Amino acid sequence: MGEIYPTLAQCAVVAAAFKILLFPAYKSTDFEVHRNWLAITNSLPLWEWYYEKTSEWTLDYPPFFAYFEWIISQVAKLVDPAMLRVYNLEYDSWQTVYFQRFTVIITELLLVYALQLFVDSTHGASKRAAQAAAISILLSPGLLIIDHIHFQYNGVMYAILIWSLVLARKKSTLLWSGLLFAALLCMKHIYLYLAPAYFVFLLRAYCLSPKSIFRIQFVNCVKLGGGIAAIFGVAFGPFALKGQIPQILSRLFPFSRGLCHAYWAPNVWAIYSFVDRVLIVLAPRIGLSVKSGALQSVTRGLVGDTAFAVLPDITPQVCFALTLIFQAIPLLRLFSQPTWDTFIGAVTLCGYASFLFGWHVHEKAILLVIIPFSLIALKDRRYLGAFRPLAVAGHVSLFPLLFTPAEFPIKTVYTIFWLILFLMAFDRLAPASSRPRFFLFDRFSTLYITVSIPLLLYCSLLHGIIFGKSYEFLPLMFTSSYSAIGVVGSWVGFLVVYFTS
Amino acid sequence: MAGHSPSPHKPRRKAKGTGGPSNLGHSTSVESSGRAPSFPLAAFFWPARGSASQWEILPIILMVVGLFRWAAGLWGYSGFEKPPMFGDYEAQRHWMEITTHLPITQWYFHDLQWWGLDYPPLTAYHSWLCGKIGSLIDPSWFALHKSRGIHDPTLKIFMRGTVIVSEYLIYIPAVVIFVRRFSRLSGVTSWSASISLAAILMQPATILIDHIHFQYNTVMLGFVVASMSSMLAGRYLWSAVFFVAALGFKQMALYYAFPVFAFLLGSCFSPRVNVLRFIRIALVTAISFGILVLPFVIGAYNEWKQGIRSKPAPLPLFQGLAAHLDTKAFYYPIVEQLVQMVHRVFPFARGLFEDKVANFWCALNVVVKIKHLPAELLQRLSLIATLASIIPPNLILIFRPRKELLPLAFATTAWGFFLFSYQVHEKSVLLPLAPMTLLLAGSQGLSKEIRAWVGFANILGCWTMFPLLQRVDLRVPYAVLTLLWAYLLGLPPTSFSVYSLDGHGSLKKIATALIHGSFYLAMAMWHMLELNLQPPPDKPDLWVVANVGVGAAGFALCYVWCFARLVLQSDILPKALLGKKSKTKTN
Repeated sequence: MGEIYPTLAQCAVVAAAFKILLFPAYKSTDFEVHRNWLAITNSLPLWEWYYEKTSEWTLDYPPFFAYFEWIISQVAKLVDPAMLRVYNLEYDSWQTVYFQRFTVIITELLLVYALQLFVDSTHGASKRAAQAAAISILLSPGLLIIDHIHFQYNGVMYAILIWSLVLARKKSTLLWSGLLFAALLCMKHIYLYLAPAYFVFLLRAYCLSPKSIFRIQFVNCVKLGGGIAAIFGVAFGPFALKGQIPQILSRLFPFSRGLCHAYWAPNVWAIYSFVDRVLIVLAPRIGLSVKSGALQSVTRGLVGDTAFAVLPDITPQVCFALTLIFQAIPLLRLFSQPTWDTFIGAVTLCGYASFLFGWHVHEKAILLVIIPFSLIALKDRRYLGAFRPLAVAGHVSLFPLLFTPAEFPIKTVYTIFWLILFLMAFDRLAPASSRPRFFLFDRFSTLYITVSIPLLLYCSLLHGIIFGKSYEFLPLMFTSSYSAIGVVGSWVGFLVVYFTS
Repeated sequence: MAGHSPSPHKPRRKAKGTGGPSNLGHSTSVESSGRAPSFPLAAFFWPARGSASQWEILPIILMVVGLFRWAAGLWGYSGFEKPPMFGDYEAQRHWMEITTHLPITQWYFHDLQWWGLDYPPLTAYHSWLCGKIGSLIDPSWFALHKSRGIHDPTLKIFMRGTVIVSEYLIYIPAVVIFVRRFSRLSGVTSWSASISLAAILMQPATILIDHIHFQYNTVMLGFVVASMSSMLAGRYLWSAVFFVAALGFKQMALYYAFPVFAFLLGSCFSPRVNVLRFIRIALVTAISFGILVLPFVIGAYNEWKQGIRSKPAPLPLFQGLAAHLDTKAFYYPIVEQLVQMVHRVFPFARGLFEDKVANFWCALNVVVKIKHLPAELLQRLSLIATLASIIPPNLILIFRPRKELLPLAFATTAWGFFLFSYQVHEKSVLLPLAPMTLLLAGSQGLSKEIRAWVGFANILGCWTMFPLLQRVDLRVPYAVLTLLWAYLLGLPPTSFSVYSLDGHGSLKKIATALIHGSFYLAMAMWHMLELNLQPPPDKPDLWVVANVGVGAAGFALCYVWCFARLVLQSDILPKALLGKKSKTKTN
């Protein structure tokens, strides 16, 4: 079969040119965070990495990411040694900016490779669809906004995730899929959210016999267990020898943070807060009591330490329980039907559950849902129907990350470009489903996408004209509530598709 | 990146081996008939072959080229934090300052030492409009006298925005319409036309100068393209109006005046004599010019009526004038306004060439020191050389006023002006590049030969502007945009496929490959030298001079190629001569 055009490499070249042009764009404090980590890993001995706190941006990623920073810092030494000094806070010479931005582009090459593996692993009629999905991930506005403007290294980590997911497609490489995912966990622990799906899938498809769940494949268990232990040993071993594990854990899991992140991630708690805010106005009329202490935090608008005025407060335990429940439901099906498509669906639903119900969720975590979902969004039109509102909501919810006027046209035009191009392409590529469609759901998704236009107009333009600088929380609240409806809607839609296909 | 909106239908049919005709009924073009796209830009449009309509592809192209423009604009502009005079950015901002604060009669007189207005009136009106809008956002950006050299980051965003908006209002619609008309005229499929549209809009030279260096060339170029486009549609009066607008925005549009005149004149006499059309065109042109300067006339007249004489001491030019005119009469201030405008717009008193520019005179100056010759002699030499280079192509256009010859005639004439005329700036290379790049939309526009030559001219053009750009440290966007364009069109240094001989290498093809190859090699070596070596202390300009020499030679080749193609396509030579002529010209 001949090559499908455009190839991933061609897209990567053009995208890289665009990303290099974005070098002088706005960069968030995450840029300084990563510079600081370069400095820490380069200039300090291993056992001081997780204790160093000159900068407020202490190292709070697992060791493999620290090793990754150490490798990069070896090159950074040649570019501008000044960026590697721990006391050189907020240092951003043009060499530093060019270098750090460039490392994001270079490490993202792994994503091109992983996506190519994904396309190559797809055969027959759906190959063109796979190519389109792969390009949509490569050109994702999420990665562009978060990695290349805001500044992070998600591209390389999602590359490892996709690579691992592709390896799970063949029986012979299942082991490597699990090990690669273990390595990914040692790089960024946010992927723990997806771990239940991996656990169930590997348990059923690799550790238990395909014929009977009561026949355990001991050799496979030893291989997988030993491999994972070895990977965790390499990552955490050196620190364990020095007895630093409690310190690392306190860095990785800071439970002192609030329910919602500074900007509301579009999840259930955003809707919950929105309802609470509406109830403040309605409460006196319907005879509910308003907690006066909470009102203060409410009028501040943004929520760091959310206290609810009318509705009951949420504890981390509640979040945790809800997340587990909604992760467990799709996993039951995965256990009974351990195919690759179900596995990807389960990974996506684990991402959904943790994003929607998790404690202190970042809006950036939406990629945990969008990227695995993209791999199966073109399976048939029903999948695409659930994907559509997610694609709109997930990317629109990232807009508040960039608030500077110079980046405004880039984030909006790029996202609109991506949505038009890929929703149009997907629409042509997704085959019809063998099962009946949900009439209502399609209508919902069309209506939902249409509403985004006035919403964007209001948030970016009209609000400023009408209210000026006051009520600044309103656009944020609207954006996240709107996006939350989309994410929840697409979640419900996908749950139905997942359980009926 | 643009336009892969794959259709599920057509490729499936192909896979089954039926290979039916394209469902839109276009004749298959060279590019879409092959099994694989011959250059990356075609690959991006590959899934849209035959199926996607132009209205689906167009918005995507416009968004992508807009994104690249805006991202390029994040880099520094000319004269950023470079006191005392700053640069083109400050000039444009300053014009917004004076036009919004001073009465119209002062615009061409106010403090000429600080970026005095020296562009024609339409630029002044455009500055006034931008200044008014900008003052609504933040009046301090354009505060009279106090805002000089201001480098507020939000102002930069506003100024970048004015360039993009002006371009999307004028240049881009003009190019989109031109490409549609020109490709239909040349029998090119709409799929190929979309590719050439993307290639034209991604042209690196215009992005580098307008969106990074900072200027509004695309407004003028847009009016010129609109004028050409009207010629294609047979709307000759509109073509005259648009051309007056182009001239009224930037005097540089004079480079195109000859072919515009030649074509309009030729179309009045061919295929049959049409005197009425000639009169109407002349009348419309005159009226357009009148409207253009009318605000100045009214302004001057009103001041005369109110008895205001607020102008600074008359300039030397007026002393001669005053002897012949009644300085008290109502028309005197009007004449004074117009004379001053012409004097500002056409600075006859400057030298043969400013700075270093890759044209004939500057290159010749490296070999023979001609700058010490008397100015009058140089002016005369320059005039003769320019006329010699531009008269032949325009004669062809007068006798063969064919629409498909327009871009070639415009390009040839502009090359002639650029190479031989007086007072050329390195940025003027945009003028010949614009119509030459439009050739991509014509018949065989995406063939290897045309891509090779259009690409060669564009990449060489960007390269000659490098000394201008690296002053404000814009090496990165220069490299990115130029290499990206070369990559998209499959040109050196990213690919040499346009020079592949496909088994039957004619002498012409081999010669083109050798000549272009040596130029690309020279450019690459020059970049290596410039990057790694300081020029010797007694010749500080060595790199720039080398750049100028190579550039002028390459541009001369572009002139020859455009002219030869024009001669061949016009069928003006007897068939017997044709074979011999083509060889001698293109080698």
